[in-house]
Amino acid sequence: MTPRKAEPSAESGGDPAGEPRVELAGIVKRFGDVVANDAADLRLATGEIHALVGENGAGKSTLMSVLYGLIAPDEGEIRVAGKPVRFRSPVEAVEAGMGMVHQAFRLFPSMTVAENVVYRAETRGTAGLLDRRAAVRAVQDLSERYGLRVDPRARIRNLSVGVLQRVEILKALHRDAQVLILDEPTAVLTPQETRLLFDVLRGLRDSGRTVVIVTHKLGEVLELSDNVTVLRDGRTVARLVTAETTGAEIARHMTGRAVDLDGHYVPGTPAAAVLTVEGLTVGPPTGRPVVDDVSLTVRAGEIVGIAGVAGNGQLELLEAIAGLRPSRSGSVRVGGTGLHGFSAGRRREAGIAYIPEDRAATGSAVAASVADNLAVGFHRRSPLRRGWRLDRSAVRDHARRIIEHFDIKVSTPAVAAGTLSGGNLQKLVVGREMAHDAPVLLVDQPTRGVDIGAIENIHGRLRAYRDAGHAVLLASAELSELMALADRVLVMFGGRVVADLDRADATEENVGLAMAGIPASTGAPGTGS
Amino acid sequence: MTTTPTAPAATPAARARALLRSPILLSILGALLLGSVMLLGAGGNPIEAYAAMVDGAFGSTQWRNTLIVAVPVVGMALAVAVPLRAGVVNLGGEGQIVLGGITAAVVAATVDLPMPLSLVAALSAGALAGGLLGTIPAVLENRLGVPLLVSSLLLSYPVVALASYVVRFPLRDPGTGLPQSRVFEEAYRMPVLFGIGLSAVVLAVVIALVVQVDSRTPFGYEVRLTGHNRRFTEYAGVDVPRMVTRLMFTGGGIAGLIGAMVVTSVPYRYIDGALVVPGYTWTGLLAALLARANPLGAVAAGVFFAALQVGGFGMERETEVPRELSSILQATVIVILAATVAATARRARTRKDTAVSERPSSPEGGAVRTRTGTTSAGEVDS
Amino acid sequence: MNVLTELVDLSLIPSILRALTPVLLAALGGAICAKAGVFNVGLEGFMLVGAFAAVAGSWFTGSAWVGVLAAVLAGAGMAALLAIASVKYGGDEIIVGIALNLLAVGLTAFLLRTVFGRQGTFTEPTLQGLPTIAGQTPLTYLAWLLVPVLAVFLRRHVWGFRLQGVGEAPEAARSLGVDTVKYRYGAVLASGVLCGLAGAQLSLGNVVLFSQNMTAGRGWVAVVAVLLAQAAPFGVLLAALLFATAEALGFRLQGVGLPSQLASATPYVLTLIALIVASVRARRVLGRAPGEVPSEDRPPVENPAASTHVSRE
Repeated sequence: MTPRKAEPSAESGGDPAGEPRVELAGIVKRFGDVVANDAADLRLATGEIHALVGENGAGKSTLMSVLYGLIAPDEGEIRVAGKPVRFRSPVEAVEAGMGMVHQAFRLFPSMTVAENVVYRAETRGTAGLLDRRAAVRAVQDLSERYGLRVDPRARIRNLSVGVLQRVEILKALHRDAQVLILDEPTAVLTPQETRLLFDVLRGLRDSGRTVVIVTHKLGEVLELSDNVTVLRDGRTVARLVTAETTGAEIARHMTGRAVDLDGHYVPGTPAAAVLTVEGLTVGPPTGRPVVDDVSLTVRAGEIVGIAGVAGNGQLELLEAIAGLRPSRSGSVRVGGTGLHGFSAGRRREAGIAYIPEDRAATGSAVAASVADNLAVGFHRRSPLRRGWRLDRSAVRDHARRIIEHFDIKVSTPAVAAGTLSGGNLQKLVVGREMAHDAPVLLVDQPTRGVDIGAIENIHGRLRAYRDAGHAVLLASAELSELMALADRVLVMFGGRVVADLDRADATEENVGLAMAGIPASTGAPGTGS
Repeated sequence: MTTTPTAPAATPAARARALLRSPILLSILGALLLGSVMLLGAGGNPIEAYAAMVDGAFGSTQWRNTLIVAVPVVGMALAVAVPLRAGVVNLGGEGQIVLGGITAAVVAATVDLPMPLSLVAALSAGALAGGLLGTIPAVLENRLGVPLLVSSLLLSYPVVALASYVVRFPLRDPGTGLPQSRVFEEAYRMPVLFGIGLSAVVLAVVIALVVQVDSRTPFGYEVRLTGHNRRFTEYAGVDVPRMVTRLMFTGGGIAGLIGAMVVTSVPYRYIDGALVVPGYTWTGLLAALLARANPLGAVAAGVFFAALQVGGFGMERETEVPRELSSILQATVIVILAATVAATARRARTRKDTAVSERPSSPEGGAVRTRTGTTSAGEVDS
Repeated sequence: MNVLTELVDLSLIPSILRALTPVLLAALGGAICAKAGVFNVGLEGFMLVGAFAAVAGSWFTGSAWVGVLAAVLAGAGMAALLAIASVKYGGDEIIVGIALNLLAVGLTAFLLRTVFGRQGTFTEPTLQGLPTIAGQTPLTYLAWLLVPVLAVFLRRHVWGFRLQGVGEAPEAARSLGVDTVKYRYGAVLASGVLCGLAGAQLSLGNVVLFSQNMTAGRGWVAVVAVLLAQAAPFGVLLAALLFATAEALGFRLQGVGLPSQLASATPYVLTLIALIVASVRARRVLGRAPGEVPSEDRPPVENPAASTHVSRE
């Protein structure tokens, strides 16, 4: 695949030999005892696509936050065109030509695309009135020039994730960003959208801009980038020219060892069906459902994975099963019991446990103690409840048991849950839900934002839970996670289950196609563009 | 501050240190300082005025007055604190106390019962009326999504007007020109035992019950967790709407009980405005906010604010500084407290946020997040 | 029939307009705050302090306009307290707002006695009220004028545009370099100014006196008007008009021999009913309550009236 070439201009064309456009040298950033960046270096040339790679916690985000003026480094220097600069705020970074597309988009849902793009860089008409027409024109110009197809008058809240990302890029371009930083840009995109994005990024490079993608996906690095910088434990461990390296080499630099999560897969031994969902539809009383006529079965001793780009109804499906969201129609059964009209509490009693997507907002009360967080759901039964009272020492013992069994790092159960690290808070939620020993466990993104060690721990727990004869329904946006755990993979797209794949058929390609809404039966021709 | 069942027992010294650094003490000091400025502005001497206030509240004969005022103030503090424990703001106390009072008055004027039964009937009728009034906003919010904060407040106006109508017309004492009921029969007068009113004893029982339920029962535990994070308890299977209804019934019931007890105490009649003008509801509300909904704290704060109020009268007598200074002090404490508590929490949060270097490996949800007010954790922002 | 004609005739209109002005001014202030993402329940207190300052200003200078100026400054002063405690330090705006309302009651009563040596009410025949044009004070005309001005400002002006962004997605606005604190300060102070005007209308326009707690819940009605209209200026006008009509009608009811208690309760009952109707409709059509920020990715189990719940943290 050859990138489209724009008209050659004076500044276009990678020139690695020349002076770097932007240089980060010896950046050190500490947060308390944690060293996020430890002498990290990064050199960005004009007209290149540069991949910044590393595992979770390697310090990529911190380094980019330094470059974008969000964080002031403790040591080190930023040089733009050879001159040292200090960014006291993102505004100063933007003025120096930086642009950033954050992972979580920062847009105004009720406003139009054009309004979002020009916000705080508006064209003013008479008396300081906003010139909306100029805004629309500006967006049209930019989107034509860089192939970023988007309707300037559309409201943000009606747009898909892929389009929202284009809006974020337009925002940066409208401010004339010369260095465009994209944080994990493909995590929310279908393969098609990803391809489209890559074309856009190549076009930007060819027009002389510098593109930085922050990622941990090696395939993308190899496909898209010109140069690679690898971070590990906060420091730069390698600078590579993409054409001269291999995925294996990058991976070795990233981890210091070979990692193959897929290799951990151990098949389960499914028995009788435990969780049966039929024709479940969820959504507002009128309008498009977010979960559309979904039927599925999970057997004891089986992990059923749900793949899909985030926002295709996975969250809503699990919440509806758990009773946290009303369903329009359809049925949910656990064992022989129909759960129609059951509240969340009664569904739990009927045998459903749930590890939610957001451990801090839903899965815990961060201001309450660890012990209180672990007691939830057990507090109305013996032994925690004695007569009409809640037995405090039983609450403490219960907490100690889970803490020990699930290896949660915490000094005492009396500290606030919010003081735990992300991985330990996740273990707290996982431990509590598994302690219910419920026949059905719903799991949503169990390892999001936790370190490798915790990922392996949690994966092991999920397998053990399955092997103890429970039914596990696992939604994950990480294909590698599903490959490591799932005995069967369902794919959701637009609220529907569009594919139901046996382990053998669940190749990355098949799943990827289904995630994009292309049914496997139509036999899509490979992944070329 | 929170009474988690697992909190380690702190040494007295550590507790004292914590208290010194506590936002509550800071706020009280700040309010006293501001009050001094106002006193100087009004041509008074702060030291004299505050001394007169203390004397007016706790002086040899005055403490009894403080106790008399403390009963309704502490009661109304509980009426707010009980639902506030779960994050629910009950602004309808005025209607609830008035409805409780007028209901008791109607019972007293119309039902002929012998002594203990008569009071039991009047007080329970008052409590029930207040409780039912309290549940209306809860049901409106649970079923129809009407904001409880506003509806509880708006409901008070018609209730206060209704009570005013009842006492001016059907219940009016024709013997006086004032809008008040006849003096109740002997059977409907709260007795005084061992120098303290029966009201104080009843209130003590209510306090004990609330504290027990709050700190010792599964229900109290659920309420406290809901106050921390309502989404979490709903996720955990707690029926939060039902909890809100129960808490509002309890809060309204306590307010109604207080209204009934005030009416059946000296001067043993319902006087229009007698439950509204002294500002029991609002003083109690501020006390509950000062205690951040902790029931025992609300009791302490209620006594403190009642003392301020009674002391205000003493100060006015001694120094001619208007007693309204008390309400200024009370409200100022809460404004400063809200700011300092938030500022402390924010500082703690930033420390934590920046200490977590790991970030989610894939974005949350599909669409744009707009959670106003709270910034999501893990995000380092300006 | 007879009663009806006695209740409703053309002369009702001036009394409706008079009742409308304070609520409308305060509600417009609340709307600006709501657009900036601040749920301001302190309108009542701002208005009360404004009413007092208006009387004080007018009394000591002999000019009602100085009174208006004093009201504006006093309202803004109260608003500054909310801005500092809630916007700057992050204190719960509902708690601070409620406390400020009570502070206003105490403060005005205190000052009534220290400044005027009176208790309850202050009025003197020589106290200058606002002049009237065709039976209405200039503030009434100003209030009506502000409705379209504010609508245009919010919809078309760059500052209004940015303000809405600040309210809708503060992180997004911040990431683009907008100082959200500054915009919120501006919004809260503007509400203080408007509430000051509302107070001046109450104490120098509708009547010429100050009496303790004379706002009598009008600030809370303004809060409801903001909720009902989802902070849109013309909607706020309609909601405030509803209340004003009820208040004016209430006085009429009293005139035809119904008890005054009914008259005083009517506006609040009507406001409550309007709030209930709006909530039911919003829930049925949009799946959300009127006080709620519309958002795509709403957490599913969040309470629909979350904006009125406080966190104990």
